[in-house]
Amino acid sequence: MIPHILAAAAETASGISGSFTLAIAGAAAAIGIGMIGGKAVEAVGRNPGASGKVLTLSIIGMALAEAIAIYALILAFQGR
Amino acid sequence: MLDSFFVAAALTLDAPAIIPSSGESFFDWLSNSVFVSFVVSAFIIWFARQATKQLTVVPGPTQNMFEAVVQGLYDLIESIVGSHMVARAFSLLATLFIFILVSNWFALLPGVGSIGWGKDTPAGFEVLTPILRPTTADMNMTLAMACVFMVFWLYWSISEVGIKGFLDHIFGVKGGLTGFMALALIPVFLFVGVIEVVSMAFRPMSLSLRLFGNVFAGETLLSTMITLGKQLNLPDWIAYALSVTIPVPFYFLEILVGLLQATVFLLLCSVYLQLSTSHDEEEGH
Repeated sequence: MIPHILAAAAETASGISGSFTLAIAGAAAAIGIGMIGGKAVEAVGRNPGASGKVLTLSIIGMALAEAIAIYALILAFQGR
Repeated sequence: MLDSFFVAAALTLDAPAIIPSSGESFFDWLSNSVFVSFVVSAFIIWFARQATKQLTVVPGPTQNMFEAVVQGLYDLIESIVGSHMVARAFSLLATLFIFILVSNWFALLPGVGSIGWGKDTPAGFEVLTPILRPTTADMNMTLAMACVFMVFWLYWSISEVGIKGFLDHIFGVKGGLTGFMALALIPVFLFVGVIEVVSMAFRPMSLSLRLFGNVFAGETLLSTMITLGKQLNLPDWIAYALSVTIPVPFYFLEILVGLLQATVFLLLCSVYLQLSTSHDEEEGH
């Protein structure tokens, strides 16, 4: 029974297409942005007075992290 | 009756010329995003003149909003770039921010991207060259803005810190090392400088690609969401109902992304400026 399932999975796996670059870059950027967001929330929790500066820095950090995903997105648009 | 209105405006990566010129015609450069940049700047100029026509101490509504925008931008840039540099850099950075913000939000109006030349396909009229297209969804515009900023950044940092200071910022021995240690680490810091130059050279690319990618992906997302019912070839009236209800949350997302990308462009430009124009006394020995 198991080999049949594995064979079917292998067969469908070969049919998987789509942009692996975008999948990996998107996942990595999401992890990065999640960590920045988490730390920013902690920082504001610890020191609510500095929320303005923390917001500015976290926006910059998230933008830089997201840029990587955008590079992959543009490659994906060009079909690579 | 319903299927005639379906508009599948698939955005092409490069902005095609509005007037479909057969050969080398004069209007070849007037692409749809250039046309929209004229419209957007005309709107901004008109609004600015409208707000500053009769300046009264007790500001009217338009003037009040305009003051709030300019004051808010001034404080934000001053908090990053420092009070000395803000006088020089404010005009360019604020213009970039306002232009990008207005052109991003202009792109969300109904007519953009769905009116233009196209051909009849079995799935209804497909627009190939829309007349209106958001300026930031065109790589030329974002790259132009990024390069203009980099030229100014170079000019400001050299005039602010001097050629020697500028090169010292890049290749200099940092961390306040002196004496033998500094001499030993010079090759290391030279290598660090080369990496610094590479990252500086990549900044305009990353600035423009980030803005272009976000806005372009947003446009494609919206057009995919609008034509979702048709793509899943549901019956027409369901597709019509879907095409009205599904894009609504994505329009709010796009409003946020438009504002966020304009803010990010502004913040990154001012951070880059602050990095290279900070005087020695701030670093502290």
